[in-house]
Amino acid sequence: MNGEQPIRAVPLDEAALTLDELARACAVEPGWVVQRVRTGILLDGTGDAPEAWRFTSVDLVRARSLLRIERDFDANEEVAALVVDLTEEVRRLRRRLRAAGL
Amino acid sequence: MDYKDYYAVLGVPKTASADEIKAAYRKLVRKYHPDVSKEADADARTKELNEAYGVLGDPEKRAAYDELGSAPYRQAGEGGFRPPPDWGAGFESFGGADSDFFKDLFAHVGGGRRRGFQMRGDDSYAVIEIALQDAYAGAGRTISLRVPEADASGRVITRERTLNVTIPKGVTEGQQLRLAGQGQPGSGGAAAGDLYLEIRFAEDRRYRVEGRDVYQTVPVAPWEAALGAGIEVATPSGRVTVAVPADSQGGRKLRLKGRGIPGTASAPAGDLYLLLEIALPPANTPRARALYEQMARELGFNPRLDPRTGL
Repeated sequence: MNGEQPIRAVPLDEAALTLDELARACAVEPGWVVQRVRTGILLDGTGDAPEAWRFTSVDLVRARSLLRIERDFDANEEVAALVVDLTEEVRRLRRRLRAAGL
Repeated sequence: MDYKDYYAVLGVPKTASADEIKAAYRKLVRKYHPDVSKEADADARTKELNEAYGVLGDPEKRAAYDELGSAPYRQAGEGGFRPPPDWGAGFESFGGADSDFFKDLFAHVGGGRRRGFQMRGDDSYAVIEIALQDAYAGAGRTISLRVPEADASGRVITRERTLNVTIPKGVTEGQQLRLAGQGQPGSGGAAAGDLYLEIRFAEDRRYRVEGRDVYQTVPVAPWEAALGAGIEVATPSGRVTVAVPADSQGGRKLRLKGRGIPGTASAPAGDLYLLLEIALPPANTPRARALYEQMARELGFNPRLDPRTGL
């Protein structure tokens, strides 16, 4: 398989995902995504119509983290969102600590 | 092939109820969650837990696994082992994340997807670690993935697949790269899924990255900070000469516009911030001591003096 043409990887942010694509990438029904956009957990609760929604890397990672917490712990969506928010914050702070050499 | 005891992985007896299995899994997932765990092997343990729970947490898969017992798998595969139709579905195929044992289970799935039934392949995920410098210049990477494929008789076999991937310049931490059509193959002539690669930067103590902005601490000598100087700094994009303004104090930030992670069509380039850190020469020779003593005598400098109160 080696020696073939390199495959160009496209950053998701240049080719953002539609609602259906994000749902497929998370292996969930589109309704799961719609519900979490409506409650402001994804996309900061945009007011746009669903066909106009575009999801980037950050949204995809976030959606998959939410799904994991919800499934692993039978957590409701708000609790899962809180856990994921805190996790993102911890990671950000850890990066700063590392940079500060602590 | 070593039999893998999923009950032992979760620390439950073979007679455990579904609720007990779920409880054991949750407890361990909390303990080994990569973001909170103090355990060195948290990542590996998490994968193992997910693999075990993926089988034992599903009544059908558990029954099939129990039937397999501890018989050597290759023999069981020839005999009465009948995996349920969706065996292996819903598992994420991170490159190399699943154990050999699991792959072997996977390899014996026959007719997992009914023939003539069109179904788009699943998307796959993997994490790829690159150096910050690769984000500046772009990079070529070779990654290997395991792909289940149907052989001539319709049985699914796992094949190693190598991809040469061109990572574009200007990628940022956590960004997902999408490789269209490089995920799991579809069935019945349907399209393959996509492969998503998550970008992580390899640990590098010299740099801190926030989005596209990069922060770098630069040590300067007291006279460089006080008198101003042109200094040469090794930045992620190469060596540059930077003018340190006179009267700089430690902690001063110098901004090099556009020298962070390069921009793309959708985002402008980040900036590079140099944080000055005053490095003191050691007073470990008579000459050095004499110079420090001279400064102490002649400068009358008290760094703790409050200019407002004079105290």
